[in-house]
Amino acid sequence: MKTDFKKIAKDGIISSNPTLKLVLGTCPTLALTTAAMNGIGMGLAVSFVLIFSNVIISLLRKAIPKEVRIPAFILIIATFVTIVRLALDYFLPDIYESMGLYLPLIVVNCIILARAESFASKNGVLASAADGLFMGIGFTLALTTMGAVREILGAGAIFGHKLWDFSIGFFSSSAGAFFTYAVFIAVFALITDKISEKSKLKKIKAEEKDFCGEIKENA
Amino acid sequence: MTFFKTIWFKCISCLLILMLFSGSSITILADLLYVSPEMRTARAIKKIYGEEKEYSVVLDVDSKDENKNTAIEYDGVGKINKIYNITDNGDILFQTTGYKGYKNGTITLWIKVVNTNEKYSIEKVLLEKYEKQTLMSKLSGEFYGGFKLTDVTEAYNDGSLFTATDKNAENYNPVSGATYSATAAANAVNCVIKYLGGER
Repeated sequence: MKTDFKKIAKDGIISSNPTLKLVLGTCPTLALTTAAMNGIGMGLAVSFVLIFSNVIISLLRKAIPKEVRIPAFILIIATFVTIVRLALDYFLPDIYESMGLYLPLIVVNCIILARAESFASKNGVLASAADGLFMGIGFTLALTTMGAVREILGAGAIFGHKLWDFSIGFFSSSAGAFFTYAVFIAVFALITDKISEKSKLKKIKAEEKDFCGEIKENA
Repeated sequence: MTFFKTIWFKCISCLLILMLFSGSSITILADLLYVSPEMRTARAIKKIYGEEKEYSVVLDVDSKDENKNTAIEYDGVGKINKIYNITDNGDILFQTTGYKGYKNGTITLWIKVVNTNEKYSIEKVLLEKYEKQTLMSKLSGEFYGGFKLTDVTEAYNDGSLFTATDKNAENYNPVSGATYSATAAANAVNCVIKYLGGER
């Protein structure tokens, strides 16, 4: 079966965006989006774990008995999370410190386990790697934009650079996180609904055109 | 032979093999990416001064020298883990751990003390790590800035140690909603005041 990479990319970033469509991985999304840099850090860490755990799970999908698939998946995911922790502590200590408790919690991140269970355990290595990559990109983009908005409004800065003295403390708080998340989900749903409506209309029009053409030919 | 075909044998062996691979790869990487206490100290110095500095060790709990590796304990307050003398400017750098945080946890800080003709002042306080504290995000840069002190000896002689709970105290540095964590941080700074005040 041929892998539809275009569909995998579209699913990961838009139609099944883990943060804004599937509402998975809510805990780090709400807690870590006080700054855009945190969003990038968390997004990249999750992407790394997603890609590599998907690849390994896909490679071993026929060898892992289905009775122990969940513990086996968690074992694989935990290994990659530990590797990410060690690497971040060594190479990027500031990001490692800013992510704190949420870094080891990637082990139980719903996005990774969900993709392992629903995609990697049923598909080939390349498709699984692509799924991990695009799901990771979707997650990173969502977290970074949310982080940027909250940082600009809540701290008057972007990527740690001060823009102005004006700031609304509410956006740095937990309530602000929920509010921003809700607005993002609403706006994202509005945009994707509009796009899908347009593509549906386009499809219907094309079908109508074909149908009319067939009638004319028959006549 | 049927034993080797049973599902439970397959399950157990699959998990064991995965554990073996996972354990060995983590062990190798943990060794390759090990961050030594010296590296952590160098990082802290770079964060405080913006560049690497040479230092001499007065006290370091990680040191192999038995005369220098005993922490200085202050009962119920905290302990001093490290003391470094910065060679080129005479500053003293402390790493202290404050007790009585949330759930009896601790907060470890780096504290930069400037020495001007035996007059000590606390210039900068930086978070190193913490244990059991859940609301550390409430401890902002402004909070750590509240620990600046122009004359440490005078503060010690007046008995004005830092507190996060006593509103009437001179060195009151509170954090709304994270009083326990703020207390542990204050205790970490108080260890330095006690040390420089002569309690050693």
